[in-house]
This record gives sequence, C-alpha cells and structure tokens, in this order.
Amino acid sequence: MLELIDLRRRFDDVVALDGVSFEVPDGRIVGFVGRNGSGKTTTMRIALGVLHADAGRVMWQGRPVDAVTRRRFGYMPEERGLYPKMRVREQLVYLARLRGTPKGLARSRATELLEILQVVGDPNDRMETLSLGNQQRVQLAAALVHEPDVLVLDEPFSGLDPVGVDVLAEVLRGQARDRGVPVVFSSHQLELVERLCDEVVLIDRGRIVARGSIRELRAMRARNLWRIEVPAATDGWWEVVPGVSLAGRDDGAVVLELNGDADPQRILDLARAEGDVAAFGPVRPSLSELFREVVAE
Amino acid sequence: MSSEPTDRGTWRLVARRDFWVRIRERSFLISTLINIAVISILVLARASSVGGSGPSFDLGYVGSPSIATGASQLGHDAQPPIPIGVHAFADQTTANAALRNGSVDAVVVGTHLIGLTDIPDVLSSLVQASARNAAVTALLDRNDVPQTERDAANDPTPLVLAVLQPAPPHRSENAAVAFVGVLLLYGQLFGYGIWVASGVIEEKASRVVEMLLSAIRPKQLLLGKIVGIGTLGLAQLIVISSFAIGLAFATNAINVSSSAFGAAGLVIGWFILGFAFYATLFAAAGSLVTRMEELQNVIVPINLTILVSFFISIGALQDPNGRLQVIASILPTSSALAMPVRIVVGAAPAWQVAVSLVALVGSTVLLVPFAARLYSGAVLRTRGRVRIREAWRSAE
Repeated sequence: MLELIDLRRRFDDVVALDGVSFEVPDGRIVGFVGRNGSGKTTTMRIALGVLHADAGRVMWQGRPVDAVTRRRFGYMPEERGLYPKMRVREQLVYLARLRGTPKGLARSRATELLEILQVVGDPNDRMETLSLGNQQRVQLAAALVHEPDVLVLDEPFSGLDPVGVDVLAEVLRGQARDRGVPVVFSSHQLELVERLCDEVVLIDRGRIVARGSIRELRAMRARNLWRIEVPAATDGWWEVVPGVSLAGRDDGAVVLELNGDADPQRILDLARAEGDVAAFGPVRPSLSELFREVVAE
Repeated sequence: MSSEPTDRGTWRLVARRDFWVRIRERSFLISTLINIAVISILVLARASSVGGSGPSFDLGYVGSPSIATGASQLGHDAQPPIPIGVHAFADQTTANAALRNGSVDAVVVGTHLIGLTDIPDVLSSLVQASARNAAVTALLDRNDVPQTERDAANDPTPLVLAVLQPAPPHRSENAAVAFVGVLLLYGQLFGYGIWVASGVIEEKASRVVEMLLSAIRPKQLLLGKIVGIGTLGLAQLIVISSFAIGLAFATNAINVSSSAFGAAGLVIGWFILGFAFYATLFAAAGSLVTRMEELQNVIVPINLTILVSFFISIGALQDPNGRLQVIASILPTSSALAMPVRIVVGAAPAWQVAVSLVALVGSTVLLVPFAARLYSGAVLRTRGRVRIREAWRSAE
C-alpha cells in the first residue's frame, strides 16, 4: 500500500498542498481528480521524490519511502519527455537499468511493452521520428519497463486516441489485478475514471475534499433524485407527499428530490394513479456532476 | 541472505550513456579532426624552423674576390655553419640584374656592399668581418709579421660563455611543448565544459530530467554526466597527445623525449583536476536555464575565467616567475592552465605545485555539494531562467 500522509508544500506565497492524505491499496486503481492547479502534479512529484514536501510523509508497505525504494516506482510525469535523439528501445533499456533492472531483462521487457502498447515503428527508431501518440505510448512503456511495484501516472490518458485509451486501461487493470500493483493516476476524463477506478480522490485547492468508491461518493454527496415521466399527469401531482420537491424538468419528465423518509415507491403509486408511467428511475449523478458539486462548495 | 539493494554506482550508467552518445556525434569527430589539424600545423611549423639547416646566402662580387671568399670562409667556420655561395660578376650592371632576379642576396663592389632592398644582418656582419680581416692582413703583410704570430692573433682562444641566471636546459623546446599543451588543455576544458552545460540543458529542455530524477538522485546524475563527458574529453586528449608526440618525433620538431612525455602527462593530469572543477560550475550554470540560446548568458563568468587563465598561461611561457603567473598557478580558478605551463618550462618549485594541487582538489570537493544543490533545485524548473537564490532555496 502506498500512503501519503499530511503532505504540505508552499511555493513562495502560494500554498500548493495543504495537508494531502490518501492511500492507494495494493491491487487497486485510484483516480486522482481535481481542477488545474489544484495540487495533483505537486502531490505526484512528491510521491516520486522529484520534489520535496515541506511536511508530511510518503510510506510504502508501512515504511518511509527513500531513494532506493523509489526505484521500484513507475512514474509518468505530466511534462512528457524522453531523449529525442535516442533510439526507442535503447532509451527504455536505459531507464529500466537506472532503476536497477538487469540489462537482458530490461531489453526483453522493452520489446514486449512496445508490442503490448502497440507502438508503431521500429524499436531502433529515434524517439523524435515517432508521432506524438506513439511517443506517448513509449512514455507509458518507460513507466512500466522495470516492472514497478507502484504506478503513479500524471494524466496518462491525455493525448491518446480511443484505441490507445482502451489499451492503456487494459494494461492498468492487468497491473492491478495480476501483479497487485497499486495504481494512482490523474485525469480530467471523468467518465474514464468512473469506468476504470476502484476509488476516486478529489482534490481542490491543495486539500482532499472527497474520497471513496464512486458508490460511496454518490451516497455521501448526491441528492436523492428520481426522474419520472407520466405524459397524462396534471402538474404538481407529487406535492401531496411530504419531503418531495421539484428539482427540475427534463424532456417531458420531472426530476423530484426526495428528502427524509420520502419513499420512492409511494411516488410511483401516485404516478400510476395519474396515468401510464413512461419512465421511472433514480438519477445517478455522474462523477463530473459530483465533482462540480463538491468543488462548488 | 541477500544484501539490501542500493543505488550506489547508478552514476556509472549515466556516465556510460553520456560517453557513448557523444562519441557517436558528428561534432566529436569534427573537433578531433580540427584538433589534430591545428596540432599538425604547430608541430610542422616548429619542425621547419628547427629541422632546416638554417639560413644560407649567395654573395656576388665585382672585381677582387678576396672579401667575398673571406666571408664565405668565415661562414663555413661558424657554429652552426652558414653556407655562403660566391658568384663573380663582370660588371655592376650584370650584378644588379642578379640582385633583381634574386639569385644573389648582396654584391661586394669595391668598398660597397650592395643589396636590393636590404641586406641580411648575418650576411653583412660576415662581409664586414671579412673586410676587416683583409685590411688587417694587408697591414700585417706590410710589416712582415711572421705566419706563426698571425695564426695566434687570428685564432684566439674562444671566450668562455657564462650567464648569471641560467635558463633550464631545452628552454625553447620546453616552451614549445608547453604552448601546445596549454592550447590543448584550454580547448578541452572549455569545449567539454560547455558540453556538460549543454547536456544538462538538453535534459531540461526535453523534460526527460523528471523521468531521470524519479529514478536516481540529482548528485548521481550530475556525477555521471561529468564523469562521462570528462572521460570522453580525456580519451580525445590522449589520442591527440599521442598523435602530437608521434608527429613531433617523426619530423624532428623535438628531440628530448622526457619533456614531451612529461608534458603530456601533466596536461592529462591537470585536465582531470581542472575539468572536475570547471565542469561542476558548468553543470550548475546549465541547470539555471532551459534553452540553448540562454546558455551563453549564464556561462559568461566561467568562460572569462578560463580565457583569462589561458592568456596568463601564455604569458607564463615567457615569464614563468612573474607575480601574476605565480598567483594564477596557485589559485584554483586558473591553476589548471597556468601550473602545468610553469612546471614544463621548469619554473615551479615543488611547494607551489603542492599548494596548487591541494587548492584545486580542495575547492572542487567544496564546490560539488554546492553545485549539486543548485542543480537539484533548478533542474526541474523548466520555465524560464532560475535565479541562483531561488534554486538554492528550493532544494531544501
């Protein structure tokens, strides 16, 4: 398990991190979500030791992380970049060896990853001759080539085409499922986070504002909304039930907010009395809606 | 029982990469060729001035041959001999024509020695001496001085030569070797120092540095880069020095092997020490900027230091014990260039060499943590130029 405990960091007068704590359990994929400048990159850089924290600790398997344990981390920085003139496979082998992987193993892993990530071109091509999408895939390979024990990826999906997104999602799932690697990645593509992650951590202005599974976040944050479509109904039919109010209208349907003990089945009975019910169901807020709601507070 | 994994020695991977990447670069090949070309020119120029048989002249005469043949005899007796060819001319007109077409350097006509635009000093002294001898012989003839007395007067015991401040043996040869050495040293320290700085910037500009620093410590990266590029500079220096020494012996430009090998050893030794010192500064300077175009701005102070040291060292070829040269050979900012020159020219006492070495090594040891901190504080700031103070503070 990777644990970040009460990380704090200032840049001159700006407080970038104001006590960031969360953990990434073994074999779990955690999505790290927040607006631009909310502290995601700073948090990840501190986790990788690229930046130092003013206060707080980073722990791995219950022990403080040092330069030697960090070699077993896989990292994809937000600012992408590899040696432009170095050959693709040579570069991956070099980065793996810097992290202590023996030469032969590094070489076979590099070759294998270039295939899995579907990098188009020859492994002996220079990096700069690759398309941006392919460079992005090589960057991912660089995070994975030493078979890391932890994966910390800053915006790994940005710049990938839909096929690339699927390939990467599958690779991350595989790392978590098969090798028990804790994976944390940041992303602005919230549908993707929703689909892929076991847990989500929301950060805003250097503080963690919410964390948990999507289900828990919904239970914790969302209003209890139901969407009902009864074409023949007279307006305001729901007003007889206490604790029910109109939250909005949507394409011929009404969205009702239920508070307290208001029972959805009671509402359904009332609706059927009004006429044929064309649609009835809970409104599940998407992660983006939850996110907007949390950040707006 | 397995030992704890460590990351010590990771710098060797960095060094190896920097070495092999650069040895394959075209600029390395070009700089090697340019160095070899410059060295060849210097060695061949010396070979022609030393190896050639020295000056020789052609002297014409109109009328009596005695002064011209006398001058030729004096030239023949000189040490080393100065060959003077003697040519007879029927009259002044033909002699003048010979002067104009350059087949003679001067012509003796009666009481005149005539040249075209000027007369070489050596030639005119010999002709003057010959004329004096002729006058003296005429006087001796008139007084019937016996031959034995004449010989004694003409062939006096040569004066014993002595100097108050004897120059070390092979002074000129040593100075020539030292000049080539300091030129090489300057080129290597400067060129490879800049290569370190631009290597740092390259990693910053391509953003790969964040990947590197997530894997290894800044100190290891810095050390690896300096060692890798320094080793390449050293290898090139050894190749060029071997070539220079080989060429110098082949062309007889020098003939004292100890001075050449000694100088090559000194240049290589001082390159290692000097490079460690300057490259640390170059790396720290490079980490402050993000684009190659900005490199010049931050390395100006280092460039000037090396350039000034170079000129002082050139001065030390002539005046190795001048106060400026002595100070420069001890201060670590300039000793890497100035001290080897003073040693080769034979002017540096052992204690000064020792002090200079201690100062250079000691200041490098002190400089490394300072530069490493600047480097780690600045190298991740990939937007614009970083101030030294900022870099210092941001690295805890």
